[in-house]
Amino acid sequence: MFHYLALAAILFSIGLFGVLTRRNTIGILMSLELMFNGATINFVTFNKYVVTDALLGQMFAIFVIVVAAAEAAIGLAIVLLIYRNWRCIKTDNYGVMKW
Amino acid sequence: MESQILTLVTFFPLLGIVLMLAIPKNQHDSIKSICLIVSFITMLLSFWMYAMFDPIANGMQFEVDIPWITSLGIHYHMGIDGISLLLIVLTSVLSVLAILSSWISITKAVKGYYISMLLLEVGMIGVFCSLDLFMFYVFWEVMLVPMYFIIGLWGGPRRLYAAIKFVLFTMFGSLLMLVAILYLVFAYQSYSGEYSFDMLKMMELPIAYGPQLYLFGAFALAFAIKVPLFPFHTWLPDAHVQAPTAGSVILAGVLLKMGTYGFVRICLPIFPEATVAYLPYICVLSLIAIIYGALVAMVQKDVKSLVAFSSVSHMGFIMLGIFALNLQGIEGAVLQMINHGVSTGALFLIVGMIYERRHTRLIEEFGGLAKVMPVFATFFMITTLSSIGLPLTNGFVGEFLILLGAFKANTVYGIIAASGVILSACYMLWMYQRVIFGKVTKPENEKLKDVNWREKLILIPLVLIIFWIGVYPKPLLDRIEPAVKQVLTYVSKATTVNIGEGIQIDQARTTDEVEIILGEVDPVKVGSEGMEE
Amino acid sequence: MEFAFPEYNLRLMAPEIFLFLWALLIIAYDVLTKRKSETTAGYLALAGLMITGLILGFTGTGHGFGNMFVSDTAAKFFKIIFLGSAFMAIGSSFGIMREKIVNHRGEFYGLILFSTVGMMFLSSSNELLSLYIGLELTTIPLFVLAAFFKDDKLSVEAGIKYFIVGAFSSALLLYGISFLYGLSGTTDLVQMKINIAITHLTFQNIGVILILAIVLVVAGIGFKLSLPPFHQWVPDVYQGSPTPVAAFLSVGSKAAGLIAFAKIFVNGLFAFHHPDMAPNDWGRLVALLAVAAMILGNTVAIRQTNIKRMLGYSSIAQVGYIMIGIVAMNALGMAAMGFYIFAYMFANMGAFAAVAIVEDKTGSCEISTYSGLARTSPLLSATFAVFLLSLAGIPPLAGFMAKFYIFAAGIQAAQHDPGLYWMYWLVGIALLTTVFAIYYYANIIKQMYFAKEPSPHKVTYNFPALTVLLIGLAGLFVFGIYPEPVLHFASGIASSFGIIP
Repeated sequence: MFHYLALAAILFSIGLFGVLTRRNTIGILMSLELMFNGATINFVTFNKYVVTDALLGQMFAIFVIVVAAAEAAIGLAIVLLIYRNWRCIKTDNYGVMKW
Repeated sequence: MESQILTLVTFFPLLGIVLMLAIPKNQHDSIKSICLIVSFITMLLSFWMYAMFDPIANGMQFEVDIPWITSLGIHYHMGIDGISLLLIVLTSVLSVLAILSSWISITKAVKGYYISMLLLEVGMIGVFCSLDLFMFYVFWEVMLVPMYFIIGLWGGPRRLYAAIKFVLFTMFGSLLMLVAILYLVFAYQSYSGEYSFDMLKMMELPIAYGPQLYLFGAFALAFAIKVPLFPFHTWLPDAHVQAPTAGSVILAGVLLKMGTYGFVRICLPIFPEATVAYLPYICVLSLIAIIYGALVAMVQKDVKSLVAFSSVSHMGFIMLGIFALNLQGIEGAVLQMINHGVSTGALFLIVGMIYERRHTRLIEEFGGLAKVMPVFATFFMITTLSSIGLPLTNGFVGEFLILLGAFKANTVYGIIAASGVILSACYMLWMYQRVIFGKVTKPENEKLKDVNWREKLILIPLVLIIFWIGVYPKPLLDRIEPAVKQVLTYVSKATTVNIGEGIQIDQARTTDEVEIILGEVDPVKVGSEGMEE
Repeated sequence: MEFAFPEYNLRLMAPEIFLFLWALLIIAYDVLTKRKSETTAGYLALAGLMITGLILGFTGTGHGFGNMFVSDTAAKFFKIIFLGSAFMAIGSSFGIMREKIVNHRGEFYGLILFSTVGMMFLSSSNELLSLYIGLELTTIPLFVLAAFFKDDKLSVEAGIKYFIVGAFSSALLLYGISFLYGLSGTTDLVQMKINIAITHLTFQNIGVILILAIVLVVAGIGFKLSLPPFHQWVPDVYQGSPTPVAAFLSVGSKAAGLIAFAKIFVNGLFAFHHPDMAPNDWGRLVALLAVAAMILGNTVAIRQTNIKRMLGYSSIAQVGYIMIGIVAMNALGMAAMGFYIFAYMFANMGAFAAVAIVEDKTGSCEISTYSGLARTSPLLSATFAVFLLSLAGIPPLAGFMAKFYIFAAGIQAAQHDPGLYWMYWLVGIALLTTVFAIYYYANIIKQMYFAKEPSPHKVTYNFPALTVLLIGLAGLFVFGIYPEPVLHFASGIASSFGIIP
């Protein structure tokens, strides 16, 4: 069980690190997916080892996959808009407002 | 009808607001007339209330008590005793005069101005009638908005600064008061098992000494800012000088009294032990206010800021009277609240009148007005003397009672306060001399018109009140006395235990005795009369 | 093996189902009529929200879908807020429909309604899975709405920022939820409350994971609620996105975050609120964030020159006040939270509607645009001033009652429980920052009223936007002077969370 949790934590941390440091918007989207996947593995793991009789964790994982897919679709669409407006998807290069 | 008189007096001006909203904004005359008529009817209602008031009865009269927000035990609870009765009458009278005084001087956004004036009147009367802490707080805050607009929109050159300063100062104090109110409510809940915001019930609530100190501090800070007591007074000169005449009249006449009223109505009866504990500090601060206000007033170049600083000094007197914690002191303080409202209100009106003519208020710009405007000079003379506290004018009765109370409480306080009276005579008479007497130095002053009928209409009632209170204050004192005694019985819970010599509750004194004392001649007063020659 | 179908109780879900179908209908209508009509889709959306409100009124209370879906007082109260804020957002969007959004009117309204459906599901969810789905259903349409002006760089930038922050926060939340699931073995909130307590007592060393889960969930929902330090996106997104969307974000989405927060923490993690549970208590953590929100929101708002950014910072501060109600964790606090967001809906939606009206006319959101507006557009200025005064908490407006209730809850908590004595400090800081708040709200009133020159603009109202202004005005006065019915209703929220008054 511990190994699976560690794997999830590593995936999540890589994703977290990626979101915070990536300068490419697509890179950020990919890192976000990693974070979602880390959480998904957690759910499946807990379902296998902690609560063995119900399938809640598995169900949750499936829902997360669906949500992540929907989010990725929206994200890519917005990235497309950015490309149309700025001809570039590096976070340094677009942006008119101060953070 | 009679039982609902308080509701009627408080909310009657709202009717005027509704009527005015229905009128197009360029019909200035009908707007002004509606405002005047509505405030006049409010004044008549308050007179009627005065007539119905039973001077002998103890406790609150015309009480209304209806559940309002039941989940927190907030009631629509109104009621008045002698103290609030007089302040309500003062408010309604001054409102009429203030509206009359702005007849010509207000030219822009007329509709908004008169709406603000009536809203202000609702707030002020509401504060004096509320017996529920929540209502008290709501009315207290409601006044901020119209006053902000009156100073900020129709005020002098630095009006924006003055308006926001006024709001921030008051708001800061009142938010602390809100916390203290909430604390009281929950303390009452754990004491009796029900939520209540009722002031009268709070007076029965035993509060431990430690929390009492904090609570008194929170309330006292809110009230002291409003009074304003010495270190919190800095908003006052700004607000007064920048506000339009009517704003200053209301500000000095009524708004400042809300602070002192708060002390008498809330701080003293609810926190008696803390009152005694804070007593020396507040007395010292009031003495500083008396002397400091007078000294600063002396060096002012602007008549209006001189009157503003004289307010600081006079309000110091009132605070001292309250914290003398004896019958004479508090009675004098309450009477002086009325007097200060009348005479300072009149002074601001007079300053407003010369400002309308000359568009300046600097003392050096005037001189010799007695020759050009004799009637004006007479009115000015009477109000100046009343502000100083000459015998036969209202100021004398109030100041004398306060000094009597102060001497009984502590001789040193009394002596310092009495010297404040001399100082007040100095700066007022010096100012009067420079403005009115002497030769006409400036050519612009030679063609000034004397007061017209509208201005006489404004000033004559005030002069009548000045002399009436000065000669025959008994009706007022009769009405104040039961209320003050009531307050003192609450305070005496603490004083009998904690106070040493010097402060004693003199329950036995009757108004007749006060009358006798009034006949005596005060040595200090002789001195001030001498200087006037 | 026997398999029993759970009781579905579909009638409890009637409002959501209806609104969902209605949203589809609007999109279909707009496509089928070749997008000719400027206003019909909008009026349809408003009608749909009203009908949903009626259906909601007739829906009873109870559980459905094997306890996953619950219809109780808290859910109903918040659903009213979601419907109301969607109504006011759509009402104030008719102006941009005419000018800026020509080709996608149906989608615009459809997405707002979808998002509302998501919020309603969220407020009815009784366990983590449906709560998470509800939250996603709320935010995914909002990503699109924020970026709705496709050719406006500001709007697209707002969209991507909101997207990245939103997806990031939902990943954090999800990871936190997975730990809660692991610790309790269930996703049902009430069961979780019991199970985690048992786990805590059995294994004394779950502290680290519990803290990790709490921090992750606070961060995840903190982004939605814009609690510092998760607030940086707020001003940018508010500034860039279409004004009605910003309004909807500031009230609807915030209320959704609030109910999600309350569900997880007040209900699920009830036992870990108190300082006795240190270091597991989340009360002090949230209190710290609330303090940061109040101080930061109110001070930074003073410097803003764009009114939407200013309202953004002010909304950060307002969330700080609401959090006092949650941290107090008593019956009064829950009612106060509900009433606060209710009053906030009228004031903030109204304020944004006023901003939208001015923006339609002038095309600018700078505060300097408002200079002298009182002389040319007195009605707009007066109502806007009332909204700002209510946000500042001046009686007798509803905003004052809301603040009053929040402070009351805080002081009650502090007085009744010696462990929570720091609530006095929390309330004290709230009071102090309220004074700051008055300064910048008054600044706008000053611009409108005290300027020397009258404004060159004279605004024009369209009927729905005017209605929104008047609804806001009426709401603030009515519920400021007589709040009892709403307070009574809101006091039921506490029992929904299992807090006995």
